[in-house]
Amino acid sequence: MELRAGDSWGIFTFLCAALCNLPALPALNCTEELGPGHSIQKTYDLTRYLEHQLRTLAGTYLNYLGPPFNEPDFNPPRLARAERVPSATVDLELWRGLTDNARLAANYRAYSRVLCSLRALDAQGTAELRHRLGHFCSSLQGLVLSIAGVMSSLGYPLPAGPPAQPPAQAGAAATNDFLKKMDDFWLLKELQTWLWRSAKDFNRLKKKVPPAVVTLRMEARGF
Amino acid sequence: FDSHIQYERVGADVTMKCGSMDWDSAVTWTANGTDIDESHLNGSYLILKNVDLSQSGQYSCYEGSSWHLKYQTYLRVGVPPKEPVLMCRSNNYPKGFYCSWHLPTPTYIPNSFNISVIHGTREMVCEKDVFPKNRCHIRYLQLFSTVKYKVTLTVTNALGKSSTTLTFDEFAIVKPDPPESVVAKPVPNNPRRLEVSWQNPSSWPDPESFPLKFFLRYRPLILDQWQHVELSDGTSHTITDAYAGKEYIIQVAAKDNDIGTWSDWSVAVHATPWTEEPKHLTTEAQITETTSTSTSSFMPPPTTKICDKGAVVGSGAVAVCWTAGLVLAAYSILFI
Repeated sequence: MELRAGDSWGIFTFLCAALCNLPALPALNCTEELGPGHSIQKTYDLTRYLEHQLRTLAGTYLNYLGPPFNEPDFNPPRLARAERVPSATVDLELWRGLTDNARLAANYRAYSRVLCSLRALDAQGTAELRHRLGHFCSSLQGLVLSIAGVMSSLGYPLPAGPPAQPPAQAGAAATNDFLKKMDDFWLLKELQTWLWRSAKDFNRLKKKVPPAVVTLRMEARGF
Repeated sequence: FDSHIQYERVGADVTMKCGSMDWDSAVTWTANGTDIDESHLNGSYLILKNVDLSQSGQYSCYEGSSWHLKYQTYLRVGVPPKEPVLMCRSNNYPKGFYCSWHLPTPTYIPNSFNISVIHGTREMVCEKDVFPKNRCHIRYLQLFSTVKYKVTLTVTNALGKSSTTLTFDEFAIVKPDPPESVVAKPVPNNPRRLEVSWQNPSSWPDPESFPLKFFLRYRPLILDQWQHVELSDGTSHTITDAYAGKEYIIQVAAKDNDIGTWSDWSVAVHATPWTEEPKHLTTEAQITETTSTSTSSFMPPPTTKICDKGAVVGSGAVAVCWTAGLVLAAYSILFI
Protein backbone atom coordinates (compact mmCIF):
# COMPACT_ATOMS: atom_id res chain seq x y z
CA MET A 1 0.00 0.00 0.00
CA GLU A 2 2.65 2.46 -0.98
CA LEU A 3 1.30 5.92 -1.77
CA ARG A 4 3.08 8.65 -3.59
CA ALA A 5 2.92 11.82 -1.51
CA GLY A 6 1.22 13.97 -4.15
CA ASP A 7 -1.61 11.59 -5.01
CA SER A 8 -2.63 10.56 -1.53
CA TRP A 9 -2.66 14.02 0.09
CA GLY A 10 -5.11 15.47 -2.39
CA ILE A 11 -7.38 12.52 -2.23
CA PHE A 12 -7.46 11.99 1.48
CA THR A 13 -7.88 15.68 2.25
CA PHE A 14 -10.92 15.77 0.03
CA LEU A 15 -12.30 12.57 1.49
CA CYS A 16 -11.66 13.67 5.07
CA ALA A 17 -13.45 16.93 4.38
CA ALA A 18 -16.34 15.08 2.80
CA LEU A 19 -16.58 12.67 5.71
CA CYS A 20 -16.35 15.38 8.32
CA ASN A 21 -18.86 17.77 6.83
CA LEU A 22 -21.50 15.55 5.29
CA PRO A 23 -23.86 13.44 7.33
CA ALA A 24 -24.42 11.11 4.43
CA LEU A 25 -22.04 8.28 3.88
CA PRO A 26 -20.13 8.25 0.60
CA ALA A 27 -21.55 5.38 -1.42
CA LEU A 28 -19.72 2.13 -1.15
CA ASN A 29 -18.84 1.02 -4.63
CA CYS A 30 -19.51 -2.62 -4.07
CA THR A 31 -20.37 -4.63 -7.10
CA GLU A 32 -21.57 -7.61 -5.06
CA GLU A 33 -23.54 -8.08 -1.88
CA LEU A 34 -21.31 -8.31 1.19
CA GLY A 35 -21.89 -11.07 3.67
CA PRO A 36 -21.83 -9.31 7.04
CA GLY A 37 -19.69 -12.02 8.59
CA HIS A 38 -17.03 -11.56 5.93
CA SER A 39 -16.98 -7.78 6.37
CA ILE A 40 -16.66 -8.19 10.13
CA GLN A 41 -13.59 -10.31 9.60
CA LYS A 42 -12.20 -7.72 7.18
CA THR A 43 -12.89 -4.92 9.66
CA TYR A 44 -11.21 -6.90 12.40
CA ASP A 45 -8.15 -7.42 10.17
CA LEU A 46 -8.09 -3.68 9.44
CA THR A 47 -8.02 -2.81 13.13
CA ARG A 48 -5.06 -5.13 13.63
CA TYR A 49 -3.27 -3.59 10.66
CA LEU A 50 -3.93 -0.08 11.95
CA GLU A 51 -2.78 -1.00 15.42
CA HIS A 52 0.47 -2.15 13.93
CA GLN A 53 0.80 1.01 11.82
CA LEU A 54 0.01 3.18 14.80
CA ARG A 55 2.99 1.89 16.74
CA THR A 56 5.36 3.34 14.17
CA LEU A 57 3.34 6.51 13.66
CA ALA A 58 3.01 7.18 17.40
CA GLY A 59 6.73 6.63 17.94
CA THR A 60 7.59 9.12 15.22
CA TYR A 61 5.02 11.65 16.34
CA LEU A 62 5.90 11.51 20.04
CA ASN A 63 9.56 11.99 19.18
CA TYR A 64 8.51 15.03 17.21
CA LEU A 65 6.65 16.36 20.27
CA GLY A 66 9.80 15.73 22.27
CA PRO A 67 10.24 15.01 25.99
CA PRO A 68 8.42 14.20 28.19
CA PHE A 69 5.90 12.90 25.64
CA ASN A 70 8.28 10.37 24.14
CA GLU A 71 9.39 8.92 27.48
CA PRO A 72 8.09 5.38 27.99
CA ASP A 73 7.00 5.94 31.59
CA PHE A 74 5.22 9.22 30.89
CA ASN A 75 1.99 8.86 32.81
CA PRO A 76 0.34 12.26 33.13
CA PRO A 77 -2.96 12.86 34.91
CA ARG A 78 -5.93 13.32 32.64
CA LEU A 79 -6.82 17.00 32.64
CA ALA A 80 -10.46 17.96 32.46
CA ARG A 81 -10.59 19.22 28.91
CA ALA A 82 -13.04 18.85 26.06
CA GLU A 83 -12.76 15.31 24.77
CA ARG A 84 -12.08 15.21 21.07
CA VAL A 85 -12.77 11.50 20.87
CA PRO A 86 -15.28 9.46 22.90
CA SER A 87 -13.35 7.31 25.33
CA ALA A 88 -12.95 3.59 24.75
CA THR A 89 -13.01 3.00 28.50
CA VAL A 90 -16.18 1.29 29.61
CA ASP A 91 -17.60 -0.72 32.49
CA LEU A 92 -17.13 -4.46 31.85
CA GLU A 93 -20.75 -5.53 32.22
CA LEU A 94 -21.93 -2.58 30.19
CA TRP A 95 -19.52 -3.52 27.42
CA ARG A 96 -20.67 -7.12 27.47
CA GLY A 97 -24.29 -6.05 27.28
CA LEU A 98 -23.92 -3.73 24.29
CA THR A 99 -26.20 -4.53 21.38
CA ASP A 100 -24.50 -5.14 18.03
CA ASN A 101 -25.85 -1.83 16.82
CA ALA A 102 -24.53 0.10 19.81
CA ARG A 103 -21.21 -1.66 19.60
CA LEU A 104 -20.72 -0.85 15.94
CA ALA A 105 -22.01 2.70 16.34
CA ALA A 106 -19.54 3.39 19.15
CA ASN A 107 -16.68 2.25 16.94
CA TYR A 108 -17.93 4.24 13.98
CA ARG A 109 -18.30 7.45 15.98
CA ALA A 110 -14.92 7.10 17.62
CA TYR A 111 -12.94 6.52 14.44
CA SER A 112 -14.78 9.25 12.54
CA ARG A 113 -13.79 11.72 15.21
CA VAL A 114 -10.21 10.44 15.34
CA LEU A 115 -9.94 10.87 11.58
CA CYS A 116 -10.93 14.54 11.77
CA SER A 117 -8.65 15.17 14.73
CA LEU A 118 -5.68 13.48 13.09
CA ARG A 119 -6.12 15.67 10.07
CA ALA A 120 -5.86 18.70 12.36
CA LEU A 121 -2.73 17.33 14.00
CA ASP A 122 0.14 19.74 13.92
CA ALA A 123 2.54 17.98 11.58
CA GLN A 124 5.03 20.68 10.80
CA GLY A 125 7.65 18.06 11.35
CA THR A 126 9.56 16.17 8.73
CA ALA A 127 8.19 15.11 5.39
CA GLU A 128 8.45 11.56 6.65
CA LEU A 129 6.06 12.34 9.50
CA ARG A 130 3.56 14.01 7.18
CA HIS A 131 3.77 11.06 4.83
CA ARG A 132 3.18 8.55 7.63
CA LEU A 133 0.26 10.59 8.92
CA GLY A 134 -1.24 10.77 5.45
CA HIS A 135 -0.88 7.05 4.93
CA PHE A 136 -2.41 6.34 8.30
CA CYS A 137 -5.39 8.58 7.64
CA SER A 138 -6.07 6.74 4.39
CA SER A 139 -6.06 3.40 6.19
CA LEU A 140 -8.18 4.80 9.00
CA GLN A 141 -10.72 6.02 6.52
CA GLY A 142 -10.82 2.52 5.08
CA LEU A 143 -11.70 1.29 8.56
CA VAL A 144 -14.52 3.82 8.94
CA LEU A 145 -15.96 2.78 5.60
CA SER A 146 -15.61 -0.86 6.52
CA ILE A 147 -17.54 -0.36 9.77
CA ALA A 148 -20.19 1.55 7.84
CA GLY A 149 -20.39 -1.34 5.43
CA VAL A 150 -20.99 -3.82 8.24
CA MET A 151 -23.66 -1.60 9.75
CA SER A 152 -25.56 -1.16 6.53
CA SER A 153 -25.36 -4.86 5.67
CA LEU A 154 -26.91 -5.59 9.07
CA GLY A 155 -29.57 -2.96 8.50
CA TYR A 156 -28.39 -0.48 11.14
CA PRO A 157 -28.59 3.26 10.53
CA LEU A 158 -25.34 5.16 10.55
CA PRO A 159 -24.84 7.56 13.45
CA ALA A 160 -24.98 11.24 12.53
CA GLY A 161 -21.69 12.76 11.43
CA PRO A 162 -19.43 14.52 13.91
CA PRO A 163 -20.46 18.09 14.87
CA ALA A 164 -18.99 20.72 12.59
CA GLN A 165 -15.92 21.91 14.39
CA PRO A 166 -13.30 24.35 13.25
CA PRO A 167 -10.40 22.11 12.29
CA ALA A 168 -7.97 24.14 14.38
CA GLN A 169 -8.59 23.23 18.00
CA ALA A 170 -10.00 26.55 19.24
CA GLY A 171 -8.19 29.67 20.47
CA ALA A 172 -7.61 28.58 24.06
CA ALA A 173 -5.62 25.49 23.19
CA ALA A 174 -3.58 27.19 20.48
CA THR A 175 -2.14 29.72 22.91
CA ASN A 176 -0.59 27.06 25.15
CA ASP A 177 1.86 24.95 23.24
CA PHE A 178 2.33 22.41 26.03
CA LEU A 179 -1.40 21.82 26.49
CA LYS A 180 -1.82 21.34 22.79
CA LYS A 181 0.89 18.69 22.85
CA MET A 182 -0.86 17.04 25.78
CA ASP A 183 -4.05 16.94 23.72
CA ASP A 184 -2.18 15.29 20.87
CA PHE A 185 -0.63 12.80 23.27
CA TRP A 186 -4.05 11.80 24.62
CA LEU A 187 -5.49 11.60 21.10
CA LEU A 188 -2.90 8.99 20.16
CA LYS A 189 -3.43 7.16 23.45
CA GLU A 190 -7.19 7.10 22.95
CA LEU A 191 -6.75 5.87 19.38
CA GLN A 192 -4.42 3.11 20.53
CA THR A 193 -6.94 2.04 23.17
CA TRP A 194 -9.78 2.07 20.65
CA LEU A 195 -7.82 -0.20 18.30
CA TRP A 196 -7.30 -2.66 21.16
CA ARG A 197 -10.93 -2.44 22.11
CA SER A 198 -12.15 -2.85 18.50
CA ALA A 199 -10.31 -6.15 18.20
CA LYS A 200 -12.41 -7.38 21.12
CA ASP A 201 -15.60 -5.74 19.81
CA PHE A 202 -15.23 -7.41 16.44
CA ASN A 203 -14.35 -10.74 18.03
CA ARG A 204 -17.71 -10.62 19.79
CA LEU A 205 -19.50 -9.61 16.61
CA LYS A 206 -17.79 -12.40 14.67
CA LYS A 207 -19.26 -14.98 17.03
CA LYS A 208 -22.75 -13.61 16.61
CA VAL A 209 -22.75 -13.27 12.84
CA PRO A 210 -21.47 -16.34 10.98
CA PRO A 211 -19.24 -15.53 7.98
CA ALA A 212 -20.95 -15.91 4.59
CA VAL A 213 -18.85 -17.12 1.69
CA VAL A 214 -19.14 -14.15 -0.66
CA THR A 215 -16.50 -12.47 -2.76
CA LEU A 216 -15.83 -8.89 -1.86
CA ARG A 217 -15.08 -6.50 -4.65
CA MET A 218 -14.63 -2.84 -3.94
CA GLU A 219 -13.70 -0.36 -6.59
CA ALA A 220 -10.41 1.23 -5.71
CA ARG A 221 -10.72 4.87 -4.78
CA GLY A 222 -7.36 5.94 -6.07
CA PHE A 223 -5.51 4.02 -3.39
CA PHE B 1 10.08 -7.65 84.15
CA ASP B 2 9.31 -7.80 80.52
CA SER B 3 11.18 -9.55 77.77
CA HIS B 4 12.59 -7.55 74.94
CA ILE B 5 13.43 -8.12 71.37
CA GLN B 6 16.03 -6.16 69.52
CA TYR B 7 17.09 -6.04 65.93
CA GLU B 8 20.60 -5.21 64.89
CA ARG B 9 22.40 -4.96 61.62
CA VAL B 10 25.03 -7.48 60.57
CA GLY B 11 28.42 -5.96 61.32
CA ALA B 12 27.12 -3.55 63.93
CA ASP B 13 28.49 -3.17 67.47
CA VAL B 14 25.85 -3.97 70.07
CA THR B 15 25.83 -2.83 73.67
CA MET B 16 23.34 -4.47 76.01
CA LYS B 17 22.56 -2.99 79.36
CA CYS B 18 21.44 -5.15 82.20
CA GLY B 19 18.12 -3.41 82.71
CA SER B 20 18.29 -0.88 85.51
CA MET B 21 21.44 -2.25 87.06
CA ASP B 22 24.33 0.17 87.58
CA TRP B 23 27.36 -0.03 85.41
CA ASP B 24 29.53 -1.31 88.20
CA SER B 25 27.16 -4.05 89.35
CA ALA B 26 28.34 -7.60 89.27
CA VAL B 27 26.35 -9.51 86.66
CA THR B 28 26.55 -12.62 84.57
CA TRP B 29 25.36 -12.71 81.02
CA THR B 30 24.28 -15.81 79.19
CA ALA B 31 23.63 -16.42 75.53
CA ASN B 32 21.04 -19.14 74.97
CA GLY B 33 21.79 -20.45 78.43
CA THR B 34 25.56 -20.54 78.03
CA ASP B 35 27.65 -18.22 80.19
CA ILE B 36 29.41 -15.47 78.35
CA ASP B 37 33.06 -14.86 79.09
CA GLU B 38 33.87 -11.74 81.11
CA SER B 39 36.09 -10.41 78.32
CA HIS B 40 32.93 -9.36 76.52
CA LEU B 41 31.80 -7.24 79.43
CA ASN B 42 32.34 -3.59 80.06
CA GLY B 43 31.20 -3.31 83.64
CA SER B 44 27.72 -4.74 83.56
CA TYR B 45 27.27 -3.98 79.88
CA LEU B 46 27.63 -6.70 77.34
CA ILE B 47 29.55 -5.65 74.26
CA LEU B 48 29.20 -7.58 71.06
CA LYS B 49 31.38 -6.29 68.28
CA ASN B 50 30.72 -6.79 64.59
CA VAL B 51 27.74 -9.08 65.14
CA ASP B 52 26.96 -11.85 62.70
CA LEU B 53 23.92 -14.00 62.13
CA SER B 54 25.12 -16.77 64.41
CA GLN B 55 24.92 -14.40 67.37
CA SER B 56 21.16 -14.19 67.20
CA GLY B 57 19.58 -15.64 70.27
CA GLN B 58 18.37 -15.09 73.77
CA TYR B 59 20.58 -13.00 76.01
CA SER B 60 19.94 -12.98 79.74
CA CYS B 61 21.51 -10.99 82.53
CA TYR B 62 21.64 -12.32 86.08
CA GLU B 63 22.59 -10.46 89.21
CA GLY B 64 25.97 -11.72 90.46
CA SER B 65 25.29 -13.45 93.73
CA SER B 66 21.53 -13.91 93.90
CA TRP B 67 21.30 -15.22 90.38
CA HIS B 68 18.18 -13.14 89.87
CA LEU B 69 17.15 -12.68 86.30
CA LYS B 70 17.38 -8.94 85.76
CA TYR B 71 17.04 -8.52 82.03
CA GLN B 72 16.35 -10.63 79.03
CA THR B 73 16.34 -9.80 75.37
CA TYR B 74 16.09 -11.65 72.14
CA LEU B 75 18.71 -10.48 69.70
CA ARG B 76 17.87 -10.81 66.02
CA VAL B 77 20.70 -9.98 63.67
CA GLY B 78 19.68 -9.11 60.14
CA VAL B 79 19.92 -6.64 57.29
CA PRO B 80 17.65 -3.93 55.95
CA PRO B 81 15.66 -5.02 52.90
CA LYS B 82 17.07 -4.67 49.40
CA GLU B 83 14.87 -3.49 46.56
CA PRO B 84 12.05 -6.05 46.24
CA VAL B 85 11.16 -7.82 43.01
CA LEU B 86 7.60 -7.03 41.91
CA MET B 87 5.61 -8.63 39.14
CA CYS B 88 2.05 -7.95 37.99
CA ARG B 89 0.14 -10.06 35.56
CA SER B 90 -3.34 -10.59 34.23
CA ASN B 91 -3.96 -14.29 33.65
CA ASN B 92 -7.71 -13.86 33.92
CA TYR B 93 -8.39 -10.95 31.56
CA PRO B 94 -10.77 -9.14 31.64
CA LYS B 95 -11.51 -9.87 35.30
CA GLY B 96 -8.44 -8.23 36.78
CA PHE B 97 -4.82 -8.82 37.63
CA TYR B 98 -2.56 -9.94 40.44
CA CYS B 99 0.78 -8.78 41.72
CA SER B 100 3.33 -10.91 43.46
CA TRP B 101 6.62 -10.02 45.05
CA HIS B 102 9.65 -11.33 46.85
CA LEU B 103 12.94 -10.17 48.24
CA PRO B 104 16.01 -10.96 46.19
CA THR B 105 18.03 -11.75 49.32
CA PRO B 106 16.83 -12.70 52.80
CA THR B 107 16.87 -10.21 55.64
CA TYR B 108 16.80 -12.84 58.43
CA ILE B 109 14.29 -10.77 60.36
CA PRO B 110 10.55 -10.29 59.92
CA ASN B 111 9.42 -8.01 57.06
CA SER B 112 6.13 -6.39 56.33
CA PHE B 113 4.88 -5.52 52.83
CA ASN B 114 2.63 -2.71 51.81
CA ILE B 115 1.27 -2.47 48.30
CA SER B 116 -0.52 0.49 46.74
CA VAL B 117 -2.24 0.59 43.37
CA ILE B 118 -3.03 3.91 41.77
CA HIS B 119 -5.08 4.25 38.63
CA GLY B 120 -5.19 7.85 37.47
CA THR B 121 -6.44 9.69 40.50
CA ARG B 122 -8.05 6.68 42.13
CA GLU B 123 -6.37 4.49 44.72
CA MET B 124 -7.46 0.88 44.36
CA VAL B 125 -7.38 -1.84 46.97
CA CYS B 126 -5.28 -4.89 46.18
CA GLU B 127 -6.76 -7.76 48.17
CA LYS B 128 -4.13 -9.92 49.77
CA ASP B 129 -4.29 -13.59 48.88
CA VAL B 130 -4.29 -16.15 51.65
CA PHE B 131 -1.99 -18.31 49.61
CA PRO B 132 0.56 -17.66 48.37
CA LYS B 133 1.30 -15.01 50.94
CA ASN B 134 3.18 -12.48 48.87
CA ARG B 135 0.40 -11.90 46.43
CA CYS B 136 -2.65 -9.71 46.03
CA HIS B 137 -5.30 -9.31 43.38
CA ILE B 138 -7.40 -6.52 41.91
CA ARG B 139 -10.63 -6.50 40.00
CA TYR B 140 -10.88 -4.23 37.00
CA LEU B 141 -13.62 -1.67 37.47
CA GLN B 142 -13.33 -0.49 33.90
CA LEU B 143 -12.07 -2.06 30.73
CA PHE B 144 -10.01 -0.54 27.91
CA SER B 145 -8.44 2.12 30.07
CA THR B 146 -6.12 4.77 28.61
CA VAL B 147 -4.64 5.55 31.98
CA LYS B 148 -1.80 3.44 33.31
CA TYR B 149 -1.77 1.56 36.59
CA LYS B 150 0.97 2.41 39.06
CA VAL B 151 1.82 -0.25 41.63
CA THR B 152 4.20 0.52 44.47
CA LEU B 153 5.47 -2.11 46.84
CA THR B 154 7.23 -1.12 50.06
CA VAL B 155 9.09 -3.59 52.24
CA THR B 156 9.78 -2.56 55.79
CA ASN B 157 11.62 -4.17 58.65
CA ALA B 158 13.15 -2.96 61.89
CA LEU B 159 16.37 -1.99 60.13
CA GLY B 160 15.10 -0.13 57.09
CA LYS B 161 12.81 -0.05 54.11
CA SER B 162 12.91 -0.26 50.37
CA SER B 163 10.36 0.07 47.60
CA THR B 164 9.84 -0.49 43.91
CA THR B 165 7.24 0.75 41.44
CA LEU B 166 5.71 -0.72 38.31
CA THR B 167 3.75 1.35 35.79
CA PHE B 168 1.83 -0.38 33.04
CA ASP B 169 -1.10 -0.30 30.65
CA GLU B 170 -4.00 -2.67 31.16
CA PHE B 171 -3.09 -4.51 27.99
CA ALA B 172 0.59 -4.91 28.59
CA ILE B 173 0.38 -7.36 31.49
CA VAL B 174 -2.01 -9.86 29.93
CA LYS B 175 -0.37 -13.30 30.03
CA PRO B 176 -2.54 -16.39 30.27
CA ASP B 177 -1.64 -19.53 32.16
CA PRO B 178 -0.35 -22.38 29.97
CA PRO B 179 -2.88 -24.63 28.25
CA GLU B 180 -4.10 -27.57 30.31
CA SER B 181 -4.63 -31.26 29.74
CA VAL B 182 -2.25 -31.50 26.80
CA VAL B 183 -2.62 -34.93 25.26
CA ALA B 184 -0.63 -36.38 22.37
CA LYS B 185 -1.66 -39.62 20.75
CA PRO B 186 -0.41 -41.65 17.82
CA VAL B 187 -2.75 -42.02 14.85
CA PRO B 188 -3.41 -45.66 13.90
CA ASN B 189 -1.92 -46.67 10.54
CA ASN B 190 -0.16 -43.33 10.23
CA PRO B 191 3.49 -43.68 11.15
CA ARG B 192 4.27 -39.97 10.71
CA ARG B 193 1.34 -38.46 12.56
CA LEU B 194 0.65 -37.40 16.08
CA GLU B 195 -2.64 -35.97 17.25
CA VAL B 196 -2.28 -33.26 19.88
CA SER B 197 -5.15 -31.75 21.83
CA TRP B 198 -5.39 -29.42 24.82
CA GLN B 199 -7.73 -27.17 26.73
CA ASN B 200 -7.91 -23.49 27.47
CA PRO B 201 -6.37 -22.68 30.85
CA SER B 202 -9.11 -22.82 33.46
CA SER B 203 -8.10 -19.41 34.84
CA TRP B 204 -9.10 -17.70 31.56
CA PRO B 205 -12.68 -16.68 32.28
CA ASP B 206 -14.16 -15.81 28.88
CA PRO B 207 -12.60 -17.53 25.85
CA GLU B 208 -15.72 -16.70 23.80
CA SER B 209 -15.22 -12.95 23.87
CA PHE B 210 -11.49 -13.07 24.48
CA PRO B 211 -10.27 -15.96 22.36
CA LEU B 212 -6.84 -17.44 22.78
CA LYS B 213 -4.41 -18.43 20.10
CA PHE B 214 -1.83 -21.15 20.54
CA PHE B 215 1.74 -22.01 19.76
CA LEU B 216 2.77 -25.63 19.54
CA ARG B 217 6.34 -26.85 19.59
CA TYR B 218 7.59 -30.37 19.11
CA ARG B 219 10.80 -32.25 18.49
CA PRO B 220 12.02 -35.81 18.68
CA LEU B 221 13.93 -36.44 21.89
CA ILE B 222 17.05 -37.19 19.90
CA LEU B 223 17.20 -33.73 18.28
CA ASP B 224 17.63 -30.27 19.82
CA GLN B 225 15.80 -28.27 17.17
CA TRP B 226 12.12 -27.49 17.85
CA GLN B 227 9.51 -27.19 15.19
CA HIS B 228 6.79 -24.59 15.70
CA VAL B 229 3.21 -24.19 14.63
CA GLU B 230 1.03 -21.19 15.43
CA LEU B 231 -2.70 -21.86 15.58
CA SER B 232 -5.21 -19.06 15.59
CA ASP B 233 -8.13 -21.18 16.71
CA GLY B 234 -9.05 -24.64 17.80
CA THR B 235 -7.54 -26.66 20.58
CA SER B 236 -6.10 -29.50 18.56
CA HIS B 237 -3.58 -30.10 15.84
CA THR B 238 -2.23 -33.05 13.92
CA ILE B 239 1.50 -33.22 13.38
CA THR B 240 2.07 -34.80 9.97
CA ASP B 241 5.85 -34.77 9.64
CA ALA B 242 6.98 -36.79 12.60
CA TYR B 243 9.92 -39.12 12.09
CA ALA B 244 8.61 -42.66 12.20
CA GLY B 245 9.21 -44.55 15.38
CA LYS B 246 10.80 -41.67 17.29
CA GLU B 247 9.59 -40.47 20.66
CA TYR B 248 8.48 -36.85 20.58
CA ILE B 249 8.27 -34.17 23.21
CA ILE B 250 5.44 -31.68 22.69
CA GLN B 251 4.45 -28.44 24.41
CA VAL B 252 1.79 -25.80 23.88
CA ALA B 253 1.59 -22.13 24.85
CA ALA B 254 -1.33 -19.70 24.77
CA LYS B 255 -1.81 -15.99 24.15
CA ASP B 256 -4.75 -13.66 23.94
CA ASN B 257 -5.50 -13.26 20.25
CA ASP B 258 -4.68 -9.56 20.21
CA ILE B 259 -2.95 -8.34 23.36
CA GLY B 260 -0.32 -9.23 25.90
CA THR B 261 2.36 -11.92 25.83
CA TRP B 262 2.66 -15.66 25.44
CA SER B 263 2.08 -17.94 28.39
CA ASP B 264 4.80 -20.20 29.71
CA TRP B 265 5.06 -23.56 27.98
CA SER B 266 2.66 -26.22 29.13
CA VAL B 267 3.78 -29.39 30.84
CA ALA B 268 5.60 -31.47 28.23
CA VAL B 269 3.95 -34.58 26.88
CA HIS B 270 5.66 -37.45 25.19
CA ALA B 271 4.35 -39.55 22.35
CA THR B 272 5.63 -41.85 19.68
CA PRO B 273 3.92 -42.18 16.29
CA TRP B 274 2.18 -45.43 15.45
CA THR B 275 4.46 -48.14 14.16
CA GLU B 276 3.46 -51.43 12.65
CA GLU B 277 3.62 -54.37 15.03
CA PRO B 278 7.12 -55.90 14.58
CA LYS B 279 6.88 -59.38 12.99
CA HIS B 280 8.02 -62.24 15.19
CA LEU B 281 11.79 -62.55 14.62
CA THR B 282 12.67 -66.15 13.80
CA THR B 283 15.38 -65.89 11.12
CA GLU B 284 18.63 -63.92 10.58
CA ALA B 285 17.24 -62.51 7.35
CA GLN B 286 14.24 -60.98 9.07
CA ILE B 287 16.44 -59.36 11.76
CA THR B 288 18.62 -57.73 9.09
CA GLU B 289 15.55 -56.40 7.28
CA THR B 290 14.18 -54.78 10.47
CA THR B 291 17.53 -53.16 11.27
CA SER B 292 17.90 -51.58 7.84
CA THR B 293 14.33 -50.19 7.97
CA SER B 294 14.89 -48.45 11.29
CA THR B 295 18.18 -46.95 10.10
CA SER B 296 16.59 -45.36 7.04
CA SER B 297 13.84 -43.76 9.14
CA PHE B 298 16.45 -42.35 11.55
CA MET B 299 17.91 -40.09 8.86
CA PRO B 300 15.91 -37.01 7.89
CA PRO B 301 14.37 -37.80 4.51
CA PRO B 302 16.77 -36.48 1.85
CA THR B 303 15.26 -33.81 -0.36
CA THR B 304 15.89 -35.75 -3.56
CA LYS B 305 13.62 -38.60 -2.48
CA ILE B 306 10.17 -38.23 -3.91
CA CYS B 307 8.36 -40.69 -1.71
CA ASP B 308 9.29 -41.78 1.79
CA LYS B 309 9.04 -45.48 1.13
CA GLY B 310 10.65 -46.42 4.43
CA ALA B 311 7.84 -44.87 6.39
CA VAL B 312 5.01 -46.54 4.54
CA VAL B 313 6.47 -50.03 4.24
CA GLY B 314 3.92 -52.56 5.26
CA SER B 315 1.29 -49.96 6.14
CA GLY B 316 -0.97 -50.82 3.27
CA ALA B 317 -1.97 -47.17 2.98
CA VAL B 318 -1.71 -45.25 -0.24
CA ALA B 319 1.65 -43.52 -0.33
CA VAL B 320 1.12 -39.76 -0.54
CA CYS B 321 4.01 -38.16 -2.32
CA TRP B 322 4.00 -34.72 -0.72
CA THR B 323 7.42 -33.78 -2.00
CA ALA B 324 6.50 -34.65 -5.58
CA GLY B 325 3.42 -32.52 -5.39
CA LEU B 326 5.34 -29.52 -4.04
CA VAL B 327 8.03 -29.81 -6.71
CA LEU B 328 5.39 -29.92 -9.45
CA ALA B 329 3.58 -26.91 -7.97
CA ALA B 330 6.82 -24.94 -7.80
CA TYR B 331 7.61 -25.71 -11.43
CA SER B 332 4.17 -24.75 -12.62
CA ILE B 333 4.38 -21.41 -10.81
CA LEU B 334 7.78 -20.75 -12.42
CA PHE B 335 6.38 -21.34 -15.86
CA ILE B 336 3.24 -19.21 -15.45
